[in-house]
Parts: sequence; structure tokens; C-alpha cells
Amino acid sequence: MPPEEGTTFPSLENEEEREYSFAVEYTGPPVPYELPRAVPINVEKIPLAAVASKVPLSNTELHIPVVTPILAPDRNRFSKELLLQPTVSPTSVIAFEERVSENTNNCLLSGELSSYESGELAELINNNDISSRRLGACSVSNEHSSMLDYCDSFDKSRESSSRAGVSNDDDLNQADWGSNESVLSLDYPSSRVSSLKTGDCNNDSSAEVRRPQVVTFRDIESDNGLDEEFSQDDVQHQVVTVKREPQTKGKKGSCYRCFKGNRFTEKEVCIVCDAKYCSNCVLRAMGSMPEGRKCVTCIGFPIDESKRGSLGKCSRMLKRLLSDLEVRQIMKAEKLCEANQLPPEYICVNGQPLCHEELAILQSCPNPPKKLKPGSYWYDKVSGLWGKEGQKPSKIISPHLNVGGSIRPDASNGSTQVCINGREITKVELRMLQLAGVQVAGNPHFWVNEDGSYQEEGQKNTKGYIWGKAGTKLVCAVLSLPVPSKYSNPCMEPLSSMTSRSVPDYLEQRTLQKILLVGSTGSGSSTIFKQAKILYKDVPFSAGERENIKLSIQTNMYGYLGILLEGRERFEEESLAEMRKRNCSKETDPEAGSSDDSDNKTIYYIGPRLKAFSDWLLKTMVSGNLDAIFPAATREYAPLVEELWKDAAIWATYNRRSELEMLPSVASYYLERVVEILRMDYEPSDVDILYAEGVTSSNGLACVDFSFPHSSSDESIDTGDQHDSLLRYQLIRVQARGLGENCKWLEMFEDVGMVIFCVALSDYDQFSADGTNKMLLSKKFFESIVTHPTFDQMDFLLILNKFDLFEEKIERVPLSRCEWFDDFHPMISRHRTNTNSNSINNNPTLGQLAFHYIAVKFKRLYSLFTGRKLYVSHVKGLESSSVDAALKYAREILKWDEERANLSLSEHSFYSTEASSFSH
Amino acid sequence: MSVPELKERHAAATETVNNLRERLRQRRNELLDTDVAGYARSQGRSPVTFGPTDLVCCRILQGHTGKVYSLDWTPERNRIVSASQDGRLIVWNALTSQKTHAIKLPCAWVMTCAFSPTGQSVACGGLDSMCSIFNLNSLTDRDGNLPVSKTLSGHKGYVSCCQYVPNEDIHIITSSGDQTCVLWDITTGLRTSIFGGEFQSGHTADVLSVSINASDSRTFVSGSCDATARLWDTRAASRAVRTFHGHEGDVNTVKFFPDGNRFGTGSDDGTCRLFDIRTGHQLQVYHQQHGDNEVPHVTSIAFSISGRLLFAGYSNGNCYVWDTLLAKVVLNLGSPQNSHEGRISCLGLSADGSALCTGSWDTNLKIWAFGGNRRVI
Repeated sequence: MPPEEGTTFPSLENEEEREYSFAVEYTGPPVPYELPRAVPINVEKIPLAAVASKVPLSNTELHIPVVTPILAPDRNRFSKELLLQPTVSPTSVIAFEERVSENTNNCLLSGELSSYESGELAELINNNDISSRRLGACSVSNEHSSMLDYCDSFDKSRESSSRAGVSNDDDLNQADWGSNESVLSLDYPSSRVSSLKTGDCNNDSSAEVRRPQVVTFRDIESDNGLDEEFSQDDVQHQVVTVKREPQTKGKKGSCYRCFKGNRFTEKEVCIVCDAKYCSNCVLRAMGSMPEGRKCVTCIGFPIDESKRGSLGKCSRMLKRLLSDLEVRQIMKAEKLCEANQLPPEYICVNGQPLCHEELAILQSCPNPPKKLKPGSYWYDKVSGLWGKEGQKPSKIISPHLNVGGSIRPDASNGSTQVCINGREITKVELRMLQLAGVQVAGNPHFWVNEDGSYQEEGQKNTKGYIWGKAGTKLVCAVLSLPVPSKYSNPCMEPLSSMTSRSVPDYLEQRTLQKILLVGSTGSGSSTIFKQAKILYKDVPFSAGERENIKLSIQTNMYGYLGILLEGRERFEEESLAEMRKRNCSKETDPEAGSSDDSDNKTIYYIGPRLKAFSDWLLKTMVSGNLDAIFPAATREYAPLVEELWKDAAIWATYNRRSELEMLPSVASYYLERVVEILRMDYEPSDVDILYAEGVTSSNGLACVDFSFPHSSSDESIDTGDQHDSLLRYQLIRVQARGLGENCKWLEMFEDVGMVIFCVALSDYDQFSADGTNKMLLSKKFFESIVTHPTFDQMDFLLILNKFDLFEEKIERVPLSRCEWFDDFHPMISRHRTNTNSNSINNNPTLGQLAFHYIAVKFKRLYSLFTGRKLYVSHVKGLESSSVDAALKYAREILKWDEERANLSLSEHSFYSTEASSFSH
Repeated sequence: MSVPELKERHAAATETVNNLRERLRQRRNELLDTDVAGYARSQGRSPVTFGPTDLVCCRILQGHTGKVYSLDWTPERNRIVSASQDGRLIVWNALTSQKTHAIKLPCAWVMTCAFSPTGQSVACGGLDSMCSIFNLNSLTDRDGNLPVSKTLSGHKGYVSCCQYVPNEDIHIITSSGDQTCVLWDITTGLRTSIFGGEFQSGHTADVLSVSINASDSRTFVSGSCDATARLWDTRAASRAVRTFHGHEGDVNTVKFFPDGNRFGTGSDDGTCRLFDIRTGHQLQVYHQQHGDNEVPHVTSIAFSISGRLLFAGYSNGNCYVWDTLLAKVVLNLGSPQNSHEGRISCLGLSADGSALCTGSWDTNLKIWAFGGNRRVI
């Protein structure tokens, strides 16, 4: 090696370059960029490079697409001769690049070709379909993607200049997203090149040559996404027009995206704007098809009504392009998504356009009008006759549907003066009646029921059945009049059966009102939840649920017993101590002591066997293993418990249960029936479940869907509200635990209609483990929920629960036990003779006064934070009527909310005067 | 021993623990003379450069009607499962952007979903405190819904995250709001081991995320509302192997670094951090200064296949691409015009690292691919 090497090359690390450096005399400073190291890798491809080198690659030609944004029509020829060669073999492309990368000026081509993948080419070659070969041409005419190609390639050329050699194996290693599926993917430069090539090679079809070249390059700012085929202003334009028209630049019959093909090539049609796409473009143009076969820009728009019939009917093309599962999902979405449903305002029944709920009623009834098309119809609610406005009846659908207005006499434009259910019938119908043997002399007015029985207006007796005779049906067929579809089984199913039918998803979401039920532990929110289940569900608890509830009731039972036994020990100790004291004092007169002679036996004494059980139970409770042991061990210990319960000591303790703070108030309900409950065949009743603690709290969340049943009193309130049957409510109860201020999941409930917050009134004298008043804890929790950003502008209903306990307690314990309520000074009339809390005289009980006082406290608190009004209701959780009333009140608030949205702001004051507390 | 005496001793013990912890922190700070970015800079490394088209959105997956909360890729075949507040799991073919399954869930409040390693089943969990497994090959019922093939119940709080143990279709690790993580045996539906909980030294608040070490599937990390991340060994459930302090807010997301010796975290304090599991050191903080006080939370993170890039989704809709070496934002996927309109709630990288999928509260998912001949790093 020549000795001057070292001096000529300051950077010595590159051994290879040192080897060849004898040819170069480099004396400058070290170059800031990496030197091209292309050659060694491509050695084996050199023979192929020779093929490519024949291509006339002149600088000017390659520059033009970059510099001038719009390609002149004759550019076609250019690129044709330029790119005719690459079809020779896949590897020739690499040769191309090799050559180009030396020349840093020829940036475009290098970029374009560098991402060329052999796999893709193979796919192209294998693909015999001519139309798919034109892929590239369509990508050229796509403005957005071609822009991207442009900068992409530009960018890459910069890179390739720096790492020219490396770029080659880069491409081989890299899983190219675009070229994994060249047909479907993004317009990477590769696909553009390949398609130009293939397309132009196949330009024997005349359409190809005449095709105007409308390639415009846009600057980066105007590029808005590869998947959007229409530019933004197109969209805005089309929002205004009702009927969306696709923008096409191609000739008639060609694909709307690539402008290729003719009317005979297979195409998929957008169900909104009628744009047609060839198999290459359809997936690009329609994206992930969340609403079926629509252009990406048409998503959310109603479909072209003329295409309603083809909804959900898949073409062969899609089946070929996509897997079976994918096609099924698209067709399902197309049929069921909301935007594709018949717009209800297009259907007029008895002169009234329908709303969504009415349409749903109409379509989900047992015998719906088939193939409903937009238009005006009349509907006879009594007989179920259905026809187009001004025409004779066309079919008989389910009667008694609450849709549209009332029928008009001239609905079917009859001129016979004979009326059926208040509609003047047509001549054809009259003829039918005559043939059916109905007396129609004297222009009678008939009442026809859905089973075909008819009577004259003002008369009671049924005169006959119109469709009773076999001949009538024949006559009807001749006169093309409808007959009831199921004559033997008239659709007398009441509307209630309809609510149990499956409502389409989109409607379910619209008609479902969510109510969130929260409350701190012990506030009785679970009782309210259970009440709702028992009140409004046919089967409140499934068998599995009942089994679980049974087990947890039994486990609770042992808990109560444990508390009792603990109390027994305490009482025993106390009385023993007392006894000893007494014994000391009454040494003088021993006969006056307790009747039993043993000095260490009190009434709280239990036998050693029971004592052992008691000790064991208490130990288990302390270690917190009660849940783990008990449901399984119930059978084993039931006899022992029975024995225990019969023991006088337990009874003595039980009689002093008010002194046991740990024992919940419901415990006595169960303890009285302890023997029955601990049997294996015990079946908890609804009331048992209601009283049970900790039944719903095992899960973090419980929800129940229900709708309010129609009661007679109900109907009088909202007779005008006809869509009630579809309105469903979902009561969601979440556990208080974890609902802290930084709760991660409360924002999931931002779509609820209202929040019911539960507070136990009787908590005012209760204290938590750390000595805080439970009412104050509830207040704090209320504050954190009310001020949570998720519930901004949400309606709140405060349920002051356990009113029964409260009424009883307030007589004994002053309300001021809770410092928040220290200014409660009720004015109580001295002559309080009537202690009945439901008295309607103006002598409210102390409990009611205190309730109103607390309600006002909470209302003030609420309006301090939100400036709005709080709805308050008092509830006795164990009384179903009271819970029912509260939940109906919640419904009124929700309804009211909807109405308020419809009213103008000026009427706002009207609402503020409304009494917000609910009494019943 | 009386109660006041016990309280006194407890207070003393707490004091000692805190002192020791503080000393440990100081000692760590002494040892930790540099962070990754400082070292990389001193070595003269330059950040990765991104052209405007190097990472482009090439697919929009539309079909959800509610906020997307979670997504997961299959190890192969480029399928994605996503979970949304509309109460559905959707399985997507990422290449055609079509749906292959739409699974209606019994409980709409879903928070997480995961694809099994074989791609045969998907798991999801949420506020119902259960983890439900759906076998994608099972037949649909008459309403066209896929039935639940297994429910894993036993958590006492919401299921915040689930991940299958790599290369096993029968084990899954879930994290929950009851402060525990659980390793499940799916075939029996029982808990194999419980990590943390009342009587164990585990997280002291809701666990929000888990990530299993890909190179050693017996270890995993969990991130929690107690602002720590913990490393666990599935063979020793009793206590965490290591606890990583450093964050000042809830750790929303954890993700193992591809080499398995480090992991990244994203938190409510607006930072992402990189921790070393062998030394327990915090290697780097990834924090972007914001002018206003409102610090966007990090909702989800993912590492590129080499670990050089860290993708982080933020609650304000940004999605930064960090250079993990230089701790610099090299690209913001939130700024291009076709980015999401809502919070980016989840993101994930395909198994070969060639594409990134982001899910957002704007109900869409987007797939971003390394454009052209950009090398996947």
C-alpha cells in the first residue's frame, strides 16, 4: 500500500475505501455526509443492470414530472417509452435504482423505484385481470395520492443519495405496507410505477389513449388524507344538496375513481350517490364500509331510496375481494345501521309524518306492511286496513298500532257514501261487501274489527264476518283487495308483546334512557336497585342469581350470629363482674342471689359445645375468612345453630340487641327465621332478597333494563305520549368504592340521562370507623360527584332513603347530632294529636319537617356548585310503592328535560317556579 | 397490646420505612449520574429524523359508534381487535380495513381487550369485574351474536387491562381496580395466582395496566394509581420483585421494552419514563413542556420494534413519537390534518413493527404505516 494513503484520508475507519483510494486523490476536509457505499452489495446484479441501461434516461425527462405540476397529454408517450422496459424482469428495477442512485439529480425515479418489491410485481404479473392491471393509472389520476408520491419520492431521493447502496437491502428487508396488497393499499410510489407500466403496456384498449390526463399535483397543505377521494369543498357542496351526486371526470360507464373500464366491466355502486367503482378502487373508495357500500364521503348520508331493495344483497365482486366474514359484516351493517333506515318523515300515515318510534312500531308489529316505500298512506287502526292515500286498501296489517293521525273520511277517496270505521269506502270495496253478503242498502256506516266482524254504527250486535265465507276471499283476490293474512289467528296480541320483541340496535340506543344510581355504602342504593328489579321485571332474579343470593344470605346469617355471640360474651363478662360485686356485697344474705347456685353462671351462659362453636366463629370472623368458609359449611353447622338459637342465653342477648351497634337493623328480620334460612332447601323470597345485604355489591356494576308498565293511573297522565311503550330505561348502579375524585372510569357514564344520588337519612347520628359523621361523608361524596366534570349539566335526583327509620329515630335523637344540621329548630305545634305521617292536615310530623330541612340543605349545596336546581325525593327503600314513585319521578324529570330542550330559553323561568321536591 | 400502643408502633414503622425509602432515593440519585439522553448526546448521537410522509395514515377503521378504549394486534395475520363504549368488540382485518367480527358484549362498559397469541380468541374486561373470553371460531346464536366462551370472575373491582401470556393460549394476566393482578388459567377459569391484595405487599391503589415481558414471559410489570410500577414474577406471587417510584401521578400504562430489560410507563403527570428492571433505576424521563397548566395525561404507549421510538398517546389528542435515545419528540401524529379528533386512548404496534394503530375517543381507529422505503426501526 502506498504510504501517502494515511495522509490523504483523514478518516481511516473505512477500510474498503482505503483499498480503492489509490485511484482518488482526495485532499479536502472530511465530508460531512456519508459517502455512497453502494457498489459491493449490488455486485451480483450487475448483469441485469445492463438491461436497464438501455432505457433512455435523460436528465430532462426525469425532471419534468417534478417541476411542472400538470402533465401535458403527451406525457403519456414519454412515460410510456420510459417505462416500457421494466416489464422485462423484476430484477431490472433494482438495476434501475442502482444506476439512478449514482445520479442524485434523478431523484424522482429513484424514489419511485426504490420501494418496488418483487413480491408485488409477481402479484401483478400473476394477475391476469386487465382491469386490475390498470391500477397504476388510477393512482396517477388520484390527486392526493399522487401528491404524496411526489414528496415521498423526493424525500427518499435525498436519502438515497446519502445511503445509496443501503437502500437496496432496505427494501428487501422491509415489510412494505403498501405493497403487501398492491391493489388495496395506499398509493405508494411503487404501485404508481408498476401501474403506469402495466397500464401503458396494455394500452391497446382505445379508452386508454383517449383518456385525458388530469394529473394535478397539490401542495402539502391541501392534502387531506389519502383515503378521502373527494376534496373538502366537494363534501361541503354535497351536504347542501339532498341528492348526492358523485363527481366524475371520466367518461360514461367508467370507474368513478380510476376512470377506466367501460360499462361492461364489473363495478360496485355506492348506495348513496350512485358512484361506480371497479374492483381495484372499490375498497379504497369505500374504506371500511361502516354503513355498507358507500363512498367514504357518503358515510352518514341517507341512501338512495331506489336502492333500498338491494340493501344487504352482496355482489360477486365483493365476495371475491373480501373474505366471507368480512362480507357478512358489511351486509349486516348495511341492513342495520341507522343511516340506511327508511327515514320516518318520508312515510305519512293519515296525513301525519311519522317519527322514529312510530316507524319502529309499524315495522316491528306482527304483521307489518311489507316493502314499505316512502309515500302517504292511510291506516284504519280498528280493522288494520292499510292503503295508499286516495286508493283502495292494499293490505291488512296489525291493528291498534299507535301510528300517525286519525283516519279521515276521504282517505281512500271513496264516493260510495258507505263508511267503514269512518272512512268512505271505494266502489271496489262496496262491490266486495255486496258479494260478501253484507247489507249495504241505505249507505250504512260500519264498524269492522280486525277479525272481520262488523256492526252498524250505533248498534251493539255483530252482524257477521266479512271474511268468514270462503267465497269472499276469492272475490277479494279477484278485486285485488286484501284479506287478513292469518284469519284463524287474529293478531290480538296486545301491544305489550311488541315491547318484548327485539328492537333494532340503533333504535334501542335512541330509546334507552340511562339512569346512574350512586350512593355511599349503606345508603340503600342496592335496595333501590333490587326494588326496581322486583318492580319492573317479570323475572327479577334468575335461578343462578337466587342461588348466589341464598348463599350470601346464609353467610350473612353467620355474621349476624357472630355479632350476637360477641355481644353475649360481653354481656356475660359484664354480668359476671356485676355478680361478683354483688356477691361481695351480699355475703351477709346469700339466699337473695340468683336462683342458680353456681356463682359463675349468668343468663348469658352457654354450654361448652356451643361455647367452642362460638369461639371458633368469632375467630373466623376476626381473621376475615367468613366468606371463604361459609357458604360451603352451612350444612355442617346448621344443626348447631339451631341448638344455639334455642338457647336461652342467645335469646337474652337478642333481647338486648339494640345495644349491639354492629348488628344491622335488618339482622332481626333474618335472625327470627334463622332455622328456616339455614336449611339447604331454603328459597329466598323477594322480600328476603330485598333485605339481604351485600347481594349486588359483589360486582362493581350492575344494571337493569326495564320499562315502566302501563298502569291505569299512568295512562291518565300521559295519554298524549304514545311512544312510551318503546321508551326503555336502564338503571345502572355503581359501587361507591373507587368512585374517588380521580376515578378513571366515571367518564364512561357521560351519556347517562340523569344521576340518582342516594343518601340514608338515618345516617345523621352514625359515625364511620374513623369518627366522621356518615352524613358528612355522604355530603362530601355528593360534592365530589356533583362537581365531577363528567356530570356537568347533568340532572341530579337526590333520594333521601330510609325515611321510615329516620322518622322513628328523629323522635329519639336530635338532628343536631350532625353538625351540618345544627340550626334545625322546627316549629312544632303543641297540639300534635295526629301522629300519622300521612296526615294531610297542616301539622307535619317532625320527620317531615326534618326531611324538608335536609332537602333544602342539599339543594343549597347543589346550587352553590352548579347554580341549578336539585330534585329531591324521600324514599322508604323497603316499601316498593315508595321506590316506584321515586323512579317515576325520575322518569318525569327525564321527559321534562326533553321538552325543555324543545322550548325556547325565554320560557326558562317557567321551570324555575316548579316545585322541585316530590311528595306523595 | 393496647390500641394506642399499636398505633404508636405503626407510626414508628411507617416513619422508618419512609426514611429508608428516602435514603434509597438519595442513593439512587447519587449513582445515577446521567440519563439516556445525556449519554446519547455525549456520544454525539443525533435524533431520528422523520419526513412528513414517513409515517402516514393509510387506513381508517370506522365502525364503532362509541369511544374506543382499547385495541390489540394479533401476533400474525395483521388483525386488530378493538373495544369500544358502544358495547362491542370489533375484529378488523388491518389490510383490507374490513370487520371480520362484531361481538356484542353483555356489559357495555368495556375497558380492555386482547387477542390470544394464536389469534383464535379474544378477551375483554371492564366494569363488570370479569374477563370474558370469546372464541372467534364458535358459532353465532340466532341473533348473530358470538357467545361468551368463558368468563373469568373473581376480581372485586373493574378489570382495567388484560394480556395473554405470550405463546400460550390458556393463560392470561389481568389487572383490576381491586389493587391486584391475577394470572388465570382459561381452561379451568380459575385464578392461578393473585399478585397483590390486602395482606400482601402489592399496589395500594387500582392497577391500571400490565405488560408481560416478551423475552421472559414469567415476569411482568404493572402500573397503578399509587403512582408506582411494580415488577412481578409469576412464580412468586406473594410480593413484587421490585417497585419503581418516580411518577407523580397515576401510571396509566406500562409497556416492556423490546429487549425485556427495561420498560416504559406513561402517567397522569404527563411524562413517560423508562425504567431498568435489573438496577431499578429510572433511565429517562420523556416530558414535553406545555405552556398552560393543563398537563395532558399519557394514555397509552408503545415501543417500536427496535425500541428506538416510543409512541405515546395523550389525552389532548396528541400522539408523540419520541426518540428514546435523545428524549426528543421527532414527530407528532396529532398534528397532521387527518389525525384523531378526540383523546387517543390506545395504541399498538403490529408484531412486525411496520404499522401503528391508534384508537381514539372520536370512535375511529387509524393505522399508520412507515411510508415508502422508510426503514422500520
